[in-house]
Amino acid sequence: MKKSILYIAAIAASTQLFTSCKKQLDVNPRERILETSYYKTPSEALTSLISVYDILGNQSSGYLTKVNILSAGSDDHFAGGDSPSDIGDLQTINNYTLTSTSGAASHLWSKGFTGVYRANVFLQKVANAGLDDATKTRYIAEVKALRAIYYFDLVKLFKNIPLLTEVVEPNAMYDVVQAPADQVYALVIKDLTEAIPNLPPTVPAASQGGRLTQGAAHAVLGKVYMWQQKWAEAAAEFALVNGPTPGASQYGYKLLANYADLWNVKNKFNSESILELVYNTTSDMGWGTVGSREGNVMSILVGPRNYVPVNAALAPDYISGWSFLPFTKDFFDLIHFDPRNKATVANLDSLEKAGIVTYKHAYANTGYFIEKYAGRVSTKAGSGQLELNFGQDMYEIRLADTYLLEAESLLKSGAAVGAGTKAYTMFNAVRARVGLNPLPVTMDNIMRERRLELAAEGHRWFDLVRWGLAPTVLAGKGFKAGRNEIFPIPERELANSKIVQSKEWGGTK
Amino acid sequence: MVLFAQDITVTGKVTDEKDGTPLPGVTVKQENAAKAVSTDAEGRYSIQVPNGAKLVFRLVGMAPKTVTVTSTTLNVFLSADTRDLTDVVVVGYGTQKKSVVTGSISSVKAKDLESMPINRVEQALQGRTSGLTIASGNGQPGSSSTVRVRGYTSFASGGNNDPLWVVDGVIVDNGGIGYLNQADIESIEVLKDAASQAIYGARAANGVIIITTKKGKVGSINVNYNAFYGTSAPAKRLNLLNATQYATIRNESAANSGLPQPYANPAALGEGTNWQDQVFNDDARRQTHEFSISGGSEKFTIYSSFGYIDQDGIVASPISKWNRANVRINSTYKPAKWVTIGENLGYSHAVNSSLGNTNSEFGGPLSSAINLDPITPVVETNPNLINKSPYTIANTLRNADGFPYGISPIVGQEMTNPVAYMQTRLGNYSWDHNIVGNVFAEIEPITNLKFRSTLGTKVAFYGGDSFTPLFYLNSSSKNDKKSFYREINTVLNYNWENTLSYAKNFGKHHAFIILGQGYYMDNNTRSLNTTYQNIIANNFYEANLNYDPGTANKLVGGSDGTLHVVNSLFTRVTYDYDEKYLFTGIMRRDGSSRFGTNNRFGYFPSFSLGWVPSKEGFWKENNVVNFLKIRGGYGVTGNDALGDFRYVSLVSSGRNYTFGTTDQSVIGWSPAALSNPDLKWEETRQTNIGFDATLFTNFTLSAEYYKKKTVGVLQTPDIPLYVGAAGGPTQNVGDMENTGFEFELGYRKKIGELNLGINGNISFLKNKVTRLLPGKAFIEDNAQSFQTMGNFTRTGLDRSFNEYYGYDMLGIFQTQAEIDSYVGPGGTKLQPNAKPGDIKYANLNGDEAINSSDRTFLGSPIPKYTYGLTINLAYKNWDLVAFGNGVGGNQIFQGLRRLDVTYANWQTKILDRWTPGNPSTTMPRIVESDPNGNYIKFSKLYLEKGDYFRLKTLQVGYTLPQRISNKVGAQKVRVYLMSENLWTITDYTGYDPEIGGTVLGVDRGVYPQARSFMVGLNVGF
Repeated sequence: MKKSILYIAAIAASTQLFTSCKKQLDVNPRERILETSYYKTPSEALTSLISVYDILGNQSSGYLTKVNILSAGSDDHFAGGDSPSDIGDLQTINNYTLTSTSGAASHLWSKGFTGVYRANVFLQKVANAGLDDATKTRYIAEVKALRAIYYFDLVKLFKNIPLLTEVVEPNAMYDVVQAPADQVYALVIKDLTEAIPNLPPTVPAASQGGRLTQGAAHAVLGKVYMWQQKWAEAAAEFALVNGPTPGASQYGYKLLANYADLWNVKNKFNSESILELVYNTTSDMGWGTVGSREGNVMSILVGPRNYVPVNAALAPDYISGWSFLPFTKDFFDLIHFDPRNKATVANLDSLEKAGIVTYKHAYANTGYFIEKYAGRVSTKAGSGQLELNFGQDMYEIRLADTYLLEAESLLKSGAAVGAGTKAYTMFNAVRARVGLNPLPVTMDNIMRERRLELAAEGHRWFDLVRWGLAPTVLAGKGFKAGRNEIFPIPERELANSKIVQSKEWGGTK
Repeated sequence: MVLFAQDITVTGKVTDEKDGTPLPGVTVKQENAAKAVSTDAEGRYSIQVPNGAKLVFRLVGMAPKTVTVTSTTLNVFLSADTRDLTDVVVVGYGTQKKSVVTGSISSVKAKDLESMPINRVEQALQGRTSGLTIASGNGQPGSSSTVRVRGYTSFASGGNNDPLWVVDGVIVDNGGIGYLNQADIESIEVLKDAASQAIYGARAANGVIIITTKKGKVGSINVNYNAFYGTSAPAKRLNLLNATQYATIRNESAANSGLPQPYANPAALGEGTNWQDQVFNDDARRQTHEFSISGGSEKFTIYSSFGYIDQDGIVASPISKWNRANVRINSTYKPAKWVTIGENLGYSHAVNSSLGNTNSEFGGPLSSAINLDPITPVVETNPNLINKSPYTIANTLRNADGFPYGISPIVGQEMTNPVAYMQTRLGNYSWDHNIVGNVFAEIEPITNLKFRSTLGTKVAFYGGDSFTPLFYLNSSSKNDKKSFYREINTVLNYNWENTLSYAKNFGKHHAFIILGQGYYMDNNTRSLNTTYQNIIANNFYEANLNYDPGTANKLVGGSDGTLHVVNSLFTRVTYDYDEKYLFTGIMRRDGSSRFGTNNRFGYFPSFSLGWVPSKEGFWKENNVVNFLKIRGGYGVTGNDALGDFRYVSLVSSGRNYTFGTTDQSVIGWSPAALSNPDLKWEETRQTNIGFDATLFTNFTLSAEYYKKKTVGVLQTPDIPLYVGAAGGPTQNVGDMENTGFEFELGYRKKIGELNLGINGNISFLKNKVTRLLPGKAFIEDNAQSFQTMGNFTRTGLDRSFNEYYGYDMLGIFQTQAEIDSYVGPGGTKLQPNAKPGDIKYANLNGDEAINSSDRTFLGSPIPKYTYGLTINLAYKNWDLVAFGNGVGGNQIFQGLRRLDVTYANWQTKILDRWTPGNPSTTMPRIVESDPNGNYIKFSKLYLEKGDYFRLKTLQVGYTLPQRISNKVGAQKVRVYLMSENLWTITDYTGYDPEIGGTVLGVDRGVYPQARSFMVGLNVGF
């Protein structure tokens, strides 16, 4: 009897061995949120909107940005760096030896399509987020304008791209085909046109600086028309941005009195800024998080290498940087006696000759570095990795650019450009700002003025291509006509998909 | 009884060979006959057998003896069984007699580890058993080792190849195993094949290492003390150029580049600075103390120990040292015959200061010492220079006399004056407290039916404090804001296991079954850190958190670990018939919080069989093969290191931007990588066949062959970038194979008063990736890279894990004509920028250029074979132990010189460079900016053979005669002299050929292991 009790006890004890709860294996995901339960509240909708903005100033983990890629390919800069292989993807742009495996092409392609994807996700999910109508309308307008900006860059850079207005289902990933460039432009124009009425004319700079405004969307639309050579439409858009006379813009845009103030980090969202790429000093970017935080890496990239301020009193407070994108001697000679020289070019060559500083003469050194957004002791982050957390903003579009574009589009459309005309006034307002005498409005003058005014801001390469001058001006760098006007579609996109390489790069599209 | 005419009566006495005591109960049997008698209490026997017959003498624990009868008196000596067949082996949730084990399990016992200069348990395993590849990550005291059991099972990005560590039944994470006091180890069992590993199921694919700590034994009380004290020094220094040689090479480099000569008079520079002398310490001290008490009675056993180790590093000693204190108490209590309760508890507290960069080309004292030019002085005393830049820059560091530490004007970046660098890290330290243990209760309601419940836990607290002073070391390495950083982390893991076991023996059948259930929770970690900036302290010892620098100067950060939960059921059946026919079968079901919703539970079965032919009737007793067991098995195990939540669609933050002038990020969220609800464990299926034998009485031999196939290695396919999603869905699509042979051979012999024991083992391993994502021929996950060279390893289909991948160096161009005639099929010069003295690379794809498409596999960092050898000698009161291990068949990558620091120093190898007068075929010319890419292109110029044999331990001891030790009340007093890493045979020219890591054998200036000499004392009471 006793034994059977023990047997029963043993069996009872053993049954508890067989309990196993599947539920026990479910672990609290904490900060990981299920996609199915997200996008339900207004604050979640805002975070989704922010993810679309994230791509605007996007930098790759390999330090590539749209501005430095296009600058390396232009006649104003060499790629630079410490050696012929430093940031190889910039070097191959500089020498025009890039192929379809170029990391620069990959970055530009991937950046654009990530932006498009996030915009499409937003548009798909925003309906259920409980936003009030006014906010919803504005958010949708911002997202459409951003999508238009991303597609505009993609079609300029690659020409033959897929046109996706909805999120691609996983089982349809490999069925996507490219669309004719005209269709892309049509969508861009449609998105901008739909967005413009619903964007605010201005935003409070302190809290919303950097968000899309009506003026910014008009400016982008104007550039789109320029690329399509629709000069009259372009001029009309720029007129809306610039106003009837300089400083009379309905959006309050005005040229700054002092050219150098444009790059003062205390001067964010000034009256000349139309679309600004915003960075900050507090995101704690580290060597392992390059590109996924909010510091501006251009500041360290363009600084002189091994910079030593020998004469502490006279030496500027540059931070020792990585010597990328030095200006060419050719460009320096052009700007040398222009009033914008000091604010554009950091002339380490003459400082060194005067014994005030020493610096390393690194690869492709000319002694002329970018001054505009070079990292400085006075602007460095309070904490975190020094090199990676500069809060310098960059201009995607500013007023001087739209003034010059209005003049150019008026000239190209056949309008009058003599003294007293709109074109003449706008063109020379840019010159007058830096104290230069007026000049007649001719393509040569406009081209030179753009080169001097907007140096190192990522415009030069696009300008040369749209003027058709790239094959001649950039021949010395290796630019091949009928090939380098666009970038190759990244090789990995062609595998197992319906995407075909552009014919400029050996494909059939 | 019929007495045949030839029968005689044989009588005699059987005694113990060691001390002559008589042996009762010895079975005396005529060979191949049924007749048998036993010895009486005085060891005497009497048996009638034919003259010339053979008599077999057997006693448990003694080696059997067979003697031919030649007279009527036959006295026999029996000695202790050298076959250790009564040894017991831990098999996971139980033990088995070694003679009936059917799986592949290697053991290391406490007596092998006594008084060894071991700090961590990985060192206890290195070279002592077959099947393991162990390499220390670096030689800094307290650093961990990479342990691989029978190769690699995962090549996934961030994949896990570390074995599962189990200490007294508690699973301890691989990163935390360093807490264990090696003196507490009773035995270590390595479960190498799936037949034995399956009992640990989804986490066992990389091998299971079971550690059992010492327990009290019934009987008298044992008190033991062991201590040793000694000094360490580097075994080897690199041959670097001195100042004159450096200047000469620099001049030649400039000349070859068409630049002016930088040094007008190299000879005047003399020897210059020997930076290695500044960082190495030739007399770093170390000491170890181990004290233990154990004892027990029928009701109560206890083992308690205290340990302390203190070791200074041989590189930058002021900022490289480690000490650890351990306390352990293991006890059991039997309140009644059928109940046992007990606990095992180990506590450890370690404090260490670390260099930071122990194997990196990006700075740190060693990398700086290798790369800095010898012209820069350690301290600048020249009055003409100390008042000039850079010494006038604020925060340059000065020595005690006020002279500034030398700053090199030509070598910069992270290469800084190591003596000055040390000053910036003085005082910084990390600490940890670890408590690992369990409590258990076992009841035996019916004989042989046991129910056991165990609750195990690991509680750990660890963190560090560091102070960053103001300093200017060079234009890239400087800090102008004082700050103090403190980090605290907590870990609380626990598990709960219940087992029910039953043993049934009927006749010659022995059966044993165990049913178990387990619940495990780990990775329950929390971290907090804070930084106070702009504090008033000037050094570490003044810094603390009591000074409030204002809110703007206080920064915080933290993180939480994601819980990992495993829920298991398992069973094992063991059966043997007469210890001749053996069978073990295991089934385990594991569910893990990491598995996809469609694959929540996995089943891991195994079986193994054994046959002991030497016990068979037909087996004639002979003195050649005394014992033979043939065994084989097959099983399935898993690897559940999958990352968390990959099976469900998530949204992630971090898609941030900035609005306005707030200078703060605004947080953005968007969908994360695509999910895969079918995600499951990486599965390994292993077959193992082997045999164990005792030969010629004194030899033990074990040999096996295994084949491991892993399927379902995690790979994330690339999705097209135009989809725009954050990443593709992780899938189980890769396969890998490991095959190998292992041999273990031991020899024991007593020749008069000399006891000799030799043990050796050797393992051969071949690793191969057999499947990748469709269309892919290689992956570069876990690839190693070196600065601008990019990745120099690659995992290729049908090749092993991360082999070296680079250019094929054909030789050196000797003449311009050679360069001009080296053309592609279309006539284009393949290396137009080359000059005589540059490397000629093979045009492997036959096109018109030498570029990254012309690369191939150059060798493997994984050793083809590893081996170990132990020699034990004892003669009267003297003893000697020599232990060595080695590897062969691997290559080491030596990347010591920075590619982007043009004027970095060189090793003296460079003196053999190509010049018109020295037509080298292996060392290219020296030229600035390297237009041909001799150094930027990875080729065999960077590889060296990694074969080595290292005499790891050599110990000579003398045990004081009993009468002397009795005077101090001790039972045994032994003094010994010991050397660690006395001698390394290798062709490798770097500091140390043993380099661990995700990919083995990558030397970026690895902190070498030290050679130590120590004197020690054992006392036993």
